[in-house]
Amino acid sequence: MTHIAIADQTAHLHHPKTFIGKYIWSQDHKVIAIQYSVTAIFVGLIALLLSVLMRLQLGFPGEFNFISPDAYLQFVTMHGMIMVIYLLTALLLGGFGNYLIPLMVGTRDMVFPYLNMLSYWFYLVSVIVLVSSFFVVGGPTGAGWTLYPPQAILAGTPGAGSGIVLMLLSLAIFIVAFTMGGLNYVTTIFQARTRGMTLMRMPLTIWGILTATILGLLAFPALLVSAIMMLFDALLGTSFFMPAIVSLGEPLNHEGGSPILFQHLFWFFGHPEVYIVALPAFGMVSDVLSVHARKNIFGYRMMVWAIVVIGGLSFIVWAHHMYVSGMNPYFGFFFATTTLIIAVPTAIKVYNWVLTLWRGNIHLTVPMLFAIGFIFTFTHGGLSGLFLGNVVVDLPLSDTFFVVAHFHMVMGVSPIMVLFAALYHWFPLVSGKQLHTGLGKLHFWGTFLGTYAIYLPMHYLGFLGVPRRYYALGDTSFIPESAHVLNEDITIAAILVALFQLVFVVNVIWTLRSGPRSVRNPWGVASLEWHTPDVPPAHGNWGDELPTVHRWAYDYSVPGAKQDFIPQHVAEEDVEYEAGGRRVGEGE
Amino acid sequence: MSWFGILSEKPWIPEAQGTTAEWGRTAYTPAVKISLRFLLGVISVFFLLFFVTFISRSQYDDFLALAGEPWQPFTNSMRLWINTGVLVLASVAMQCAVYALRCNHGVRLLLSLAVGAVLAALFIVLQISVWQFLAGMGYSVAGNPANSYFYILTGLHALHLLGGLFALGRVVNNMRFEGNLQNRHAAIEACAVYWHYLLGLWLVLFFMLTRTPETYALIAAACGLG
Repeated sequence: MTHIAIADQTAHLHHPKTFIGKYIWSQDHKVIAIQYSVTAIFVGLIALLLSVLMRLQLGFPGEFNFISPDAYLQFVTMHGMIMVIYLLTALLLGGFGNYLIPLMVGTRDMVFPYLNMLSYWFYLVSVIVLVSSFFVVGGPTGAGWTLYPPQAILAGTPGAGSGIVLMLLSLAIFIVAFTMGGLNYVTTIFQARTRGMTLMRMPLTIWGILTATILGLLAFPALLVSAIMMLFDALLGTSFFMPAIVSLGEPLNHEGGSPILFQHLFWFFGHPEVYIVALPAFGMVSDVLSVHARKNIFGYRMMVWAIVVIGGLSFIVWAHHMYVSGMNPYFGFFFATTTLIIAVPTAIKVYNWVLTLWRGNIHLTVPMLFAIGFIFTFTHGGLSGLFLGNVVVDLPLSDTFFVVAHFHMVMGVSPIMVLFAALYHWFPLVSGKQLHTGLGKLHFWGTFLGTYAIYLPMHYLGFLGVPRRYYALGDTSFIPESAHVLNEDITIAAILVALFQLVFVVNVIWTLRSGPRSVRNPWGVASLEWHTPDVPPAHGNWGDELPTVHRWAYDYSVPGAKQDFIPQHVAEEDVEYEAGGRRVGEGE
Repeated sequence: MSWFGILSEKPWIPEAQGTTAEWGRTAYTPAVKISLRFLLGVISVFFLLFFVTFISRSQYDDFLALAGEPWQPFTNSMRLWINTGVLVLASVAMQCAVYALRCNHGVRLLLSLAVGAVLAALFIVLQISVWQFLAGMGYSVAGNPANSYFYILTGLHALHLLGGLFALGRVVNNMRFEGNLQNRHAAIEACAVYWHYLLGLWLVLFFMLTRTPETYALIAAACGLG
């Protein structure tokens, strides 16, 4: 019996014959990736709108009658949850993961295309369930994105009836969707790589996605466990997390439950979630920087090791989110130490990005601008994380705007900078057209400067002690008038940043409708995804024969080579060198 | 090559001219094998987290264990032993299916798969009867955290078994179309491994849910949760 390598098995490809088979119930990883991306961006725009509404209330309290205290808390909650789970996780792994994995490792599709299709439809159902909570009596939950019990399910909290139930159901469905997708990603990467594509020849994008997926597979169960237990508490009256409590003057039937247990479960998921978002972003930004600096990535091996080490450490830092929960000081000391240790591999990555740029032939294209912008925002967000990782600094700053500023810089703005870098970078591959450069630069500068205008002053508000989650500050003696003025300024900056995102939407629509066709491989990229027979890649990706890989993905500006990049599938004997030119190290 | 060896490779060193590029070590291994490993890992983490919360919750004063005193439902756990026997037989039937597959014995294969599926379904029905028995004795879901955990954990275990039955149905249905013999074998073997895993998981659940307060205190102390 002749065995066919997993990468080259075509039996499961299901060539679609109808419009519905091709674009709706598609099993093609590229179509599924686009479905994921469009859904995630749509729901992300809802979250963006919610943040603007929230900022209107903070900047101009009392001016907008339709924003009640309940509505404000609901906007905050839904904005946070949508952005973290339904936009960032879904777009980075469901969108980019789906599109790039088979193309970058050189296979024809995911190993389980049917499961992949199911993954998207489950995700869509989770989004529909989530959005439907806006239309039920009481509205969506306003418990904050962390959904802490007991308040999340107690009367008096917005959405404590149907809203929280729909949120928990939606999360459970999302986790099922993620597990189906995640199993596909890891299996495809481990078993369906093409000939010559060793693990250490994979682009860092794939390393980031692989590690993040494994983190997700191991961390999301914690959220699922807590969601199931809280659903039981809310619907069946159990007491997993609910202590004995008197609500609105009436003793409830719960007793003995532990709200702190929920916090442990939530953050056992919640902290790895930061890296589920960050690691694919780390990988993609490494590739974008290398391509647009026309230079190999600095310290490839160290970058891989750092991704793996960060992934491992991310499971033993969760309680740094709980310093104010009254934990044992030794416990806090342990988690502060692990938190500071995780800064080491992270710093290695930042140094390597900067050293990749050092003496590179930097092309300030739109993707490169976003990638460089990421280095700034991530460094700032990471440094304020070092402050908050220490118990003594965290205690006074906890629940202030300093925390809001920190996590928005590190896991809001930074991954979104990478997402835009990636969208501009891979758009010509996906659509065959190149986004307008002028509009792209306008979008970058508006977003980059605008987000700094939002979040830098927010750190200062935090130092003043301005609390987060408050509907209105009122007359408080320790908050000076200047803080209110600063809040107005931040709101104006937030509105401007939101408007600048419309520039991107307009750019995409205009380019798809009437933009010029892109040249093949416009950035001169060496990794496999740009070297398919058709651009955009056709169903099955590689035509009759899979590519064979002969080198890593970072052969840029190789000394002596005629072209400034050597694609991964070009063998050494086929590389054209200048007369007398030779590789560094050759013959030494 | 070990993981250390893989992660120590230096991919920037150019390949010597004329080198033939090789497939990876697992390029011919059916994908279902590795995905099953990951899936079992995910399910293990899922239940492990439940166990941690269970042991932690068992140390609160209001927790009334389901065994220990004569009037408690699982001091005599015969019902659960019968269910365990059914699941063991289901697992044996699935293993017989694997042997039948290796001997290329089609009828015996289908028969074994059918027996494995029916016994798994029977196990779920018997578990529901245990729920009815508990409810009849007044042990409701919300009555006590020990009851809540019993219902939730056995329910989730049954759901995983139902998922396995669905997957087995798809595997049997796809056997007609799957031309690659290796993939067909791998799918059946994966179903058998999944059945064995769920049997193992049930044994752990059985152990955990029917202990006395003293045993819980011991486990909690050993885990640092006491």
